[in-house]
Amino acid sequence: MTAVWHYISLIFRLLIRIVTAPVWLPFWIVWWLFEKTGINRLIVKVAMALGLYLVFKNLTRKPLRLFLTMFATFVAFLIYGTLSTFESAIDAGVELSADDRLIVVNKINFTQPLPISYVNRVKGLENLTDVTHLNWFGGYYQDPQNFMAMFAVDEDTFLTVYNEIVLTPEERQDWLGSRQGLIAGKSIADQYGWKVGDRIPINSNIFSKADGSTSWEFDVVGIYTGTDAQTDTSSVYFHYDYFNETQSFGRDFIGFIGVRTVDPAMNEGVIKAIDDLFANTPYETETVPEKVFNQAFIEQIGNLSLILGSVVFAAFFIILVIVGNSMVLAIRERTGEIGVLKTLGFKSTRIFFMILAESLLLAIFSGALGLLATSLAVVAVNQAPIQLPVLVLTPAIIIEALVIMIGLGLVTGILPAVNALRLNIIAALSRQ
Amino acid sequence: MAALFDLKNVAKSFVKGKEKITIFEDLNMEIEEGDFVAIMGPSGSGKTTLLNMLGGVDQPTGGEVWFDGARIDKLSEGQLAKWRANNVGFIFQFYNLMPMLNAARNVELPLLLTRLGSKQRTKNVMTALKLVELEDRAKHMPNEMSGGQQQRVAIARAIVSDPKLLLCDEPTGDLDRATADEILKTLQLLNTEFNKTIVMVTHDPAAAKYAKRTLHLDKGEFVEAEQAA
Amino acid sequence: MLRLLSQIWTVIVMNVRSLPQRLWMSLAATFAVTVVVAVLLSFLAMSNGFSKTLSGTGSEDVAIVTRSGSQSELNSVIGRDSVNILSTASGIAKTADGQPFYSAELYVVVDGKKRSSGTEVNIPMRGISSLGFDLRGGIEIVEGRMFADGTNEIIVGRGILDQFSGFELGSEVAFGKTRWTVVGVFSTGGSAFESELWADARMVQDLFNRGNSFQTMRIKLSEAGNIRGLEEMIENDPRLILDVDTEAGYFAAQGEALEGIVWFGWGIGIVMGLGALAGALNTMYTSVASRASEIATLRAIGFSNVSAFFGTLVESVVLSLIGGVIGALVSYIFMDGLTTATIGASFTQVVFTFELSADLLQNGILLALVIGLVGGFFPALKAARLPVIVAFRGSA
Repeated sequence: MTAVWHYISLIFRLLIRIVTAPVWLPFWIVWWLFEKTGINRLIVKVAMALGLYLVFKNLTRKPLRLFLTMFATFVAFLIYGTLSTFESAIDAGVELSADDRLIVVNKINFTQPLPISYVNRVKGLENLTDVTHLNWFGGYYQDPQNFMAMFAVDEDTFLTVYNEIVLTPEERQDWLGSRQGLIAGKSIADQYGWKVGDRIPINSNIFSKADGSTSWEFDVVGIYTGTDAQTDTSSVYFHYDYFNETQSFGRDFIGFIGVRTVDPAMNEGVIKAIDDLFANTPYETETVPEKVFNQAFIEQIGNLSLILGSVVFAAFFIILVIVGNSMVLAIRERTGEIGVLKTLGFKSTRIFFMILAESLLLAIFSGALGLLATSLAVVAVNQAPIQLPVLVLTPAIIIEALVIMIGLGLVTGILPAVNALRLNIIAALSRQ
Repeated sequence: MAALFDLKNVAKSFVKGKEKITIFEDLNMEIEEGDFVAIMGPSGSGKTTLLNMLGGVDQPTGGEVWFDGARIDKLSEGQLAKWRANNVGFIFQFYNLMPMLNAARNVELPLLLTRLGSKQRTKNVMTALKLVELEDRAKHMPNEMSGGQQQRVAIARAIVSDPKLLLCDEPTGDLDRATADEILKTLQLLNTEFNKTIVMVTHDPAAAKYAKRTLHLDKGEFVEAEQAA
Repeated sequence: MLRLLSQIWTVIVMNVRSLPQRLWMSLAATFAVTVVVAVLLSFLAMSNGFSKTLSGTGSEDVAIVTRSGSQSELNSVIGRDSVNILSTASGIAKTADGQPFYSAELYVVVDGKKRSSGTEVNIPMRGISSLGFDLRGGIEIVEGRMFADGTNEIIVGRGILDQFSGFELGSEVAFGKTRWTVVGVFSTGGSAFESELWADARMVQDLFNRGNSFQTMRIKLSEAGNIRGLEEMIENDPRLILDVDTEAGYFAAQGEALEGIVWFGWGIGIVMGLGALAGALNTMYTSVASRASEIATLRAIGFSNVSAFFGTLVESVVLSLIGGVIGALVSYIFMDGLTTATIGASFTQVVFTFELSADLLQNGILLALVIGLVGGFFPALKAARLPVIVAFRGSA
């Protein structure tokens, strides 16, 4: 009977090991590396030198519980880190928008067109440096599912208004000098394996040529990067002239106008000047700062950050409960020992801080591992051939995570620490 | 010579539920420096409470406790902790070693409360372990040692910071006769050679024989040995 | 066998009796499962609600025709001539007066203000004829009246009223320099059409300078699901560069847009579940440790280790299931029926309602069960292997 149990458990354990390998393997590798390189011994030494060795020994006395608790915390910070980078990437569109850039769209809705003649009329206004125009093309590559942000632009003014786009001088030269030239962001070029010099066909789900075909031929003349790591590089741009001459309907119309003002302080005046200029025409305009436009665009999706926030909150709540509980338990089990320490002359406050240090160490160490895993996940996501914004583990996220780790450590440690502080020696010794 | 301990009219009672339980009403005793006192008595006679009061772990509800010319019964918890660290070594029935620390680290615990550097601490620890003849077990964990060895580690821990006073609560209660005799001999040695004042609570008359004198406690009062038996 | 069962029962009763001692710990583990299940179910309900809304929009006996490759109504353009040609295809139902039963429609986007965020979002405006109204089943005007042909009057879907401000009955709305009056509110029983504004097609053509072109054509089929006649005509006539699908097929494909949310929900659910599992294991190991001497005592009396095993396992599973059921209830109470809007395939807002089906609830309970089983298995094994000698060691 016992033998049967033994084998059943052995098989079960093996299965669990295999299934959960992605989870424990990284831990194991880290531990193994630490052991081989002597980092483990170093940690012990540092803990000893800092006078934290009682704390350290207490923490590691039940490896299984330590592992489980650490794992739960690790998971929370992995979720936190990943979702935060995700949210930050989405918000980057708003954060990185230039303060002195305005977007002019059709007042009815930004999907409605404006006549191209508007561009020159806007150029005549005061207090703005550059004006350009863009038109959504509805492009997709090979499969209709592979739709992308693709715009027909005025090649010259586009680069001055959107100066976060970085091209090499040669690429710039080729872009300005070509007719069927196309510049693609690094992330989308990587996704489809486009190289400078490639000739690629791209279809539109909105426009068609005179012969009814929806396929256009382009020459990849440049692959741009951004001035900031979070700059979106998943868009594709090509010449408006090429578009306008070949497409079959709605000629001489554009999607929206991009304007750069002399100074963000001038924005108000410029906005009013533009909208007044086109008031009571068939195509009234609505001009907004780029930041506002991008923010509204994100809001269309729904309350994404609320959903992400709730998930992170739920994850943290679980962890708080689990870690807090196992701390309370761990300390309760040690009641007798705490009594002995007090008898030996350890002050209650010292024991109080020892326990806080224990929960802080636990939270910070496992949280740091969670962030480490996040950074690996970020690299993996950025390399993966899927259309996602560039994820960056920003210093702000790391600092926020650190603050949360410290908070978590304090919250989970405070109750048992206070219990230990109040613990009466006689009660402690008789309860052991 | 002035008494090391002087208990004057000590009273101790506490309320349990609705009942007031009185352990001592008017206890008086003196312990000279260098004495080795065994305290015997039946369960509930107040032995352990007395020991706890001597160790500054428990405080009397009345009367005065003088140690080395100073009152200790009115000290705050923090002051008492400091006083214990400087003056008292405890030896318990169940050794009470920290299970996750090896012998040397256990012995080192009281030294963490001093300003000694790590080298000096190690030196003191080894001296203490040598005294209890366990220097070769310094790296062993408590669960790798016998009961007698563990108790000797506990003794080393009690003496490592060189306190005047050793308080022992049934130090041989969990040990066999031969091991118990070894432990008691060690205590005796500490008393005679190192002039440690020892107060030992015990059930065991054989253990009490190692002491210089034996006090019998019954219902919170000292009585003659014959009466107690 | 019976004896074994009664032994297991004894251990379970003993465990339950000792639960109050470990109350907070057990509550914490249960609560963790609650949160995990609630989070998972919320995501599943979201995706389910979205796809239900869209699949409920399409009907099998209506065909939708768009320009080839346009993928959504918004991007499509169909000229009057194409509409006329296609209306002669076979398989099209006839109206009462013998005309082909179809509706040529416009689908444009206007700005509306979302109540929840106060920001401007894309709202679809459909230009339609009264025939288009008849063509869709299950539509009723719940307030006000139908728009009059040739006027700047609009009727709005119920979902619009719910999620976006400024479209109340009787209010005036400005699109560009034209002004429109809301004269009615319609309901389609929760489909995506309820997220739309409807007006006379000719007025919409004027406002958006569409001349005489349309964007989609909806055709009532004489036989549900049979679009072969239309397909053949499109194939054989080079002037028709069009796609045709049943409306049901068209919207079902769009409903898949939030399928990613399902994967995301499961991903988060499983990762959080691992955290909860850690909690369950901690709890159960503690439970076994605190009952070690009791278990050993029973074993000394002659209870089998099987009873110790199952007693512990059952405790874990029951705690976890309680957590799961509460989680399911919480998400049912707070999430089921929650109405929100997100952006759909046509780049316009789709108002939908979270919907928690029995299937989804099962998923949540299953996850709780797995956490309980795994979280109880190893501690149960420990309990089963506890040496009997522990019983004689006392509590020290």
